[in-house]
Amino acid sequence: MNWREEENKAWRFFGRGLPVFLTMAMMLGLILGGMAGVARGDNSLCFGCHQDESLKKQDARGRGLSLFVAEAVFKNSVHGKLSCSDCHTRVKDDKHAEGGQKAADKRVNCGTCHEKMEKEYLQGLHSKMIMKGTERAANCYDCHGKHNVLASKNPKSMTHLSNIDKTCDRCHSDVGFVKEHGLGEAIPKEEFRKSVHGKSGEVTCTSCHGSHSSLRSLIDPKSTIFRSSIPQTCGGCHPDITKQFVESVHGVLAARGRSDSPTCTTCHGFHGIKAKVDPDSPVNEKRIALTTCPQCHAAERISKEYKLTTSPVKSYYDSFHGLSYQGGDTYSANCASCHGVHDIRPSSDPKSMIHKDNLQKTCGKCHPGASENFAKEKMHAVASIRGEEFGEKVVGWVRVVYIILIVLVIGGLTFFNFTDWLRKTIERMH
Amino acid sequence: MTKKYLRMTLNERIQHLNLAVNFTLLVITGFALSFSTAFWVAPIKDLSMGMTYRGFLHRLCGVALVFLSGYHILYLAFTERGRGIVKDMIPGLKDAKDLWETLKNNFFINRPAKVVKMPRFNFREKLEYLGLIWGTIVMTVTGFILWFKTAWLMYFPMWTWDVAEAIHFYEAVLATLTIIVWHLYSVVWNPDVYPMSWAWITGDLTEHEMEEEHGMELERIKAQPKGEMREYAEAAAVGGGRVYAIRRETTEQDGRKTPSPRRFYKIVQGFNETIKNWKGT
Repeated sequence: MNWREEENKAWRFFGRGLPVFLTMAMMLGLILGGMAGVARGDNSLCFGCHQDESLKKQDARGRGLSLFVAEAVFKNSVHGKLSCSDCHTRVKDDKHAEGGQKAADKRVNCGTCHEKMEKEYLQGLHSKMIMKGTERAANCYDCHGKHNVLASKNPKSMTHLSNIDKTCDRCHSDVGFVKEHGLGEAIPKEEFRKSVHGKSGEVTCTSCHGSHSSLRSLIDPKSTIFRSSIPQTCGGCHPDITKQFVESVHGVLAARGRSDSPTCTTCHGFHGIKAKVDPDSPVNEKRIALTTCPQCHAAERISKEYKLTTSPVKSYYDSFHGLSYQGGDTYSANCASCHGVHDIRPSSDPKSMIHKDNLQKTCGKCHPGASENFAKEKMHAVASIRGEEFGEKVVGWVRVVYIILIVLVIGGLTFFNFTDWLRKTIERMH
Repeated sequence: MTKKYLRMTLNERIQHLNLAVNFTLLVITGFALSFSTAFWVAPIKDLSMGMTYRGFLHRLCGVALVFLSGYHILYLAFTERGRGIVKDMIPGLKDAKDLWETLKNNFFINRPAKVVKMPRFNFREKLEYLGLIWGTIVMTVTGFILWFKTAWLMYFPMWTWDVAEAIHFYEAVLATLTIIVWHLYSVVWNPDVYPMSWAWITGDLTEHEMEEEHGMELERIKAQPKGEMREYAEAAAVGGGRVYAIRRETTEQDGRKTPSPRRFYKIVQGFNETIKNWKGT
């Protein structure tokens, strides 16, 4: 019809474009309506393909990658109310199904919503490793999961207190992985769980190693496991011991950075810490004087380096205490009995158990009524004719004289009897 | 059936057994401490309070030995037989000569081998006995010092205790080795007595053994007018300890004899003699 002849005002208002406009509106509506399939809440379009368990693709290295997502698990997770494209922002429709690497998301960026955590994570060691080029260092989803993220308070969460060690073990206990990435030794899976920390159910990897920003390299001074910070890390749960230790000779030296001085982990271990009463524990009373203390105090390198003139371990092993101890006696004094455990101080320190004014009392703990003579002479004396003290020299001479006597007497007697036996045997042969 | 000469009375044999058992236990429990890492000590390590029991047993045997020594001293002083033993144990020039002659024999310097007639206690036994006295005194004194450390240290400095410890150990080594190479030779490995001299159980020596080891004593016994006489301390009240032997000359009887340890010893001694007199087939 001739539009000039139209009398309707509406038509005059919109002009010739009205049908076009309406069509456009309808198309837009259709498009938007179609997008409702991947809009907030309704993920059925995605699940249509992705709930197929056999759905797979090949990643950049040609390895198979499962594309299966369990709908129930996802719905149960903390992200269950979100739509797939809230995280997979580059996927808007099913065009990606046609294939091609660029078609789908390479990586989801958790930082879009979790900005603060992302900033913290970037300060940590795993992030630094990734930036250096290690693809497989732990990312958000390696520890938190992908479609199964649950709140940490949920016992089923990968980051729940009881599950964190399993989460970390996935990489750190995998021998192949550890070797490939030079992570040192693979942590035996059961080691932590069997340890006194693991058994308590209150301590896990992150308790000492931290997470996100506090998970740092050993040589990072801000790390919780930086050598000089270890007493403070352990002190978080063991404050009294740490207070003693930082004033002790080992604590003072370790804090100054002397790597030869032990800290908590030197004597107790790190992952497999066992209770003191466990016979496998390095601080078990039956092992203290055999391994824990001698590993440094009988080490040639250490005695040479620090010019230690006494041989404390050898003199202990030769003494009654040491001999009985080596036979399994737990009543006999070991290193800790006289020197203390976390409060070891040098003998020049008036608070030390082995200060000359305190020695009598220290000996008196097991020898009631001990007199002064217990404490007067050198404790770790080594009997030798070239010894420092008079007592050492005398005993050294006693040894020399007796050994000569034994050799002469027994040698003589044996020789005499041997000739006797020889003659009698020869006579009998005829 | 050969003639027997009484060597050790029952009393003496019991004293000797007491000594042997205590000495052995002392040696074992003592070296279990000074060589506490040795393989044979390992079983004690796993036993709860094993070392404590070791120490207790060691001191117990030590005290037992002290009591035995005390008894022995009384025995030597207050019995006639005991006094006789003391007299015969005193070493003299003859013993040195005997030792020298035996040595020359053994080196075939004397050809043919000179017959050395030795007294009741020959130089071997005298050496042994004197060693025993010396060792027991030293070990007892040092042992008590070690045991009562706190008390000792109230009066003496620590180095004296350390000296006592060293002496106790080395004297033990000396004593143990002496027993093995000297005493055990005399009674076990000596071809004249091998596999073992039975005197410590039966109390007797055979004629052959007497000839070899105590020839002078044998002559003295034989020279006595009444023939074979023995010292029997138990009969001291009757003949000054010298009586005819009553026991031991068993005669054949009809029928089976009742079994007795004495008879068993005889059988084994018979074997012993057969072996000793073995001159080849």
